[in-house]
Amino acid sequence: MAIIRKIKDKIRELAKKEINLKAKLPKPAKKSAPPEEEKREIMGERETMVEKAKFFQPEIAPRPRREMPTELPSQYDRDRIVLQVRDPWWLHTYWEVRGQTFDRFKSELGESFYRAKRTLRVYDVSQINFNGSNAHRYFDIFVSEHTNNWYIDAGGSGKSWIVDYGLLLPDGRFITIVRSNVAHTPIEGPSWITDEEWMIPEDMFARLYGMGFGLGQSSPVGKAWQERVKRALFSGVFASPGMASMASPVKKVPKERKFWMVVNCELIVYGATEPDATVTVQDKEIKLRPDGTFSLRFALPDGKQVIPVKGVSSDKIEERVITPIVSRETKSSILVKA
Amino acid sequence: MHKGYLCLVLHGHLPFVRHPEHEDFLEEDWLYEGITETYIPLIQVFEKLCEDGVDFRLTMTLSPTLSSMLADPLLEERYLNHINKLIELSHKEIERTSWQPQFQHLAIHYLNQFCKARDTFEKYGRNLALAFKKFQDLGKLEIITCGATHGYFPLMDVCRESVRAQVKVAASHYESLFGRRPRGIWLPECGYQPGQDEILKEAGIKFFFTDSHGVLHGTPRPKYGVFAPVYCKGTGVACFARDLESSKQVWSSIEGYPGDYNYREFYRDIGFDLEYDYIRPYIHPDGVRINTGIKYFRITGTTDHKEPYVPQWATERAAEHAGNFMFNRQKQVEYLNDFMQKKPLLVSPYDAELFGHWWYEGPQWLNFLIRKIACDQDEIRLITPSEYLAENPRNQVITPSLSSWGWKGYSEMWLQGSNDWIYRHLHEASAKMTELARSYPHADGLKARALNQALRELLLAQSSDWAFIMGTGTHVNYAVRRTKDHLLRFNRLYEDIKSDSIDNGWLSDIEYRDNIFPGIDYRVHQ
Repeated sequence: MAIIRKIKDKIRELAKKEINLKAKLPKPAKKSAPPEEEKREIMGERETMVEKAKFFQPEIAPRPRREMPTELPSQYDRDRIVLQVRDPWWLHTYWEVRGQTFDRFKSELGESFYRAKRTLRVYDVSQINFNGSNAHRYFDIFVSEHTNNWYIDAGGSGKSWIVDYGLLLPDGRFITIVRSNVAHTPIEGPSWITDEEWMIPEDMFARLYGMGFGLGQSSPVGKAWQERVKRALFSGVFASPGMASMASPVKKVPKERKFWMVVNCELIVYGATEPDATVTVQDKEIKLRPDGTFSLRFALPDGKQVIPVKGVSSDKIEERVITPIVSRETKSSILVKA
Repeated sequence: MHKGYLCLVLHGHLPFVRHPEHEDFLEEDWLYEGITETYIPLIQVFEKLCEDGVDFRLTMTLSPTLSSMLADPLLEERYLNHINKLIELSHKEIERTSWQPQFQHLAIHYLNQFCKARDTFEKYGRNLALAFKKFQDLGKLEIITCGATHGYFPLMDVCRESVRAQVKVAASHYESLFGRRPRGIWLPECGYQPGQDEILKEAGIKFFFTDSHGVLHGTPRPKYGVFAPVYCKGTGVACFARDLESSKQVWSSIEGYPGDYNYREFYRDIGFDLEYDYIRPYIHPDGVRINTGIKYFRITGTTDHKEPYVPQWATERAAEHAGNFMFNRQKQVEYLNDFMQKKPLLVSPYDAELFGHWWYEGPQWLNFLIRKIACDQDEIRLITPSEYLAENPRNQVITPSLSSWGWKGYSEMWLQGSNDWIYRHLHEASAKMTELARSYPHADGLKARALNQALRELLLAQSSDWAFIMGTGTHVNYAVRRTKDHLLRFNRLYEDIKSDSIDNGWLSDIEYRDNIFPGIDYRVHQ
């Protein structure tokens, strides 16, 4: 459970972390998690053996063991680019272009292929049927040859986007290699579109809006509430812990320094007698092991413990009492060097 | 006469963490802890309410992965071992704390709790999904479904076939367990992508939930904010949005109830606190210390100094907090009723495991709240979404906004530097699954088995939990391994199916490991 504890700790850290969107400049995300050292597993070995035992197959040569790879392929041999939405302002795209596709462009473009820049061209295609040249606007992001995904600062919410991965030639021509799906970023505040049948005055809506975000009945009206909501929303204040088993909603205050120490004492009282004897410890009958031995374990608080152990023979004729007396005294001191 | 409604929703979910290949598997403990600390205490609260004739309405998700595990004989057997060991440990604890009465009576308290948990578990034939079904059949509980494996739908939008499979597999699984079709769904992580309600409609689902901004940022403007559901444009599926004010009171790490100093401290467990040789038989066999569930301290304050837990004080606080919550809802409903000229609906969803697992007194709080609402007031009425819609069929039509209830409100928790690499592989596998479903519309025998297993592996790889754990940045190995293993199995099945060389032995082995959704039909992935 140490693992889960660590995850929990991390989640608490995350919740506290101030997120500065501006600081998050677009940068290529890591290609993939570093491969771990994993034992190769021979899949289905046991089942195959069961099968062999069940069905006698004299004619067929034993099937060679087939090993499962432990890592996923880095490429899938297809030209593809996918665009997805992270939030109202940020998009994420990943792509793959086959070597043979590049080879085709190499032979078509000759020398200029090598001087072309690998480029993401991001089109604003809100409310239009994009035909390759009718975007409201576009912007380019140059990426290196080995990059295969990118976070795009779209700079505007409530819009539709398409991205091309292609080559920007020295003469300014852009050649599309792959084109993405359309992705729609949500609006970052309430819609300006109202419904005639379900009209509501502006200031009333503003109040309902603030209340929906738990800002109470006195939520500020106008631009101020939007800002307040946005700040709260994107700081993660409203977020659920995500995975219930992993994150406590209970606040923990981080300590200034990590050092700590605890010391506890326990006392083990053990002994032996005839297996059929009756033994009481502090007047409570205890169970003996079949060989007549016994052990008791007690948390030992500070102070004196008088522990009469009484044994009575099975014929009730003999009785013995042995009484350990134990006292604990704990002293402690704390020193913090400047 | 009541002035508004309160819809309490408990979202019960755990990823599929069944590992028959190992005797003891750390992650399976998530399930056992959930059963002991959340699911059984909730069932016991419901039982007692019914016994006392207190009427109530609650809405609860049992995610298909969770309900599959609850109904799995192997895990049931293992849970029984788990609870028996806890009972054994409690007995030892009662003896060990003989000279510390403040702890001994807690040890006795745990012994009672664990014994009662075992009784409840046995009472329902070890299948707790049936316990929840009982309360649904009594009309007290509305159980809703979820994505089959809790896949995060907005990041599957480029392969809606997978969203369809998540929804349809979930709905069929629900039907097999609860004897009727699900009326509602909890979109995993509350992740809503406009347009995906079409898929819900196809599956016969009538309603879902979003976070507040899902509706508040919808188009056109929602006249009643989050205080009335809306219908999605084009499909008519109803969308209920979270009321953050009521959520915050319970949920917030800063002002929420669970942080009260009289409540039990989660982070002081004897699995970590006690002497190693003594506790060794009750922690992980590898010797890693884990939570046992026996915890002796109360939160006490903000420092490391902790005082012993006093159950009676905690119970008193839970009752006070329930009263406070109800009072605030009454005020909220009165104000809104006046403001809206209509009965407002407050939707308060919580992760089920907040109740009991994290917030030990949560089930007691719920119990007090339900009783107080039933007996002490007239302003609010508990209601389920289905009942609300039956009574209030006329609602505004809008297009809700993309949203989730995760960190920062959208998809960043599941799409960031640590986990974005998975989508390339997941989307590729989805495309291949669609291709398989189209290429083999009438497969049977071995091929149908392989196709069904391919869909199981794909669904298991899609659990949002893996991306979430990777996103937390610490010890991601398990989540990475699960993602890769399911995808690798999928890839091999794909190749074997295409080349007509399915290895029966290997297929049987992975069917045995990943045995979720026995009745799955690969054709739904279209």
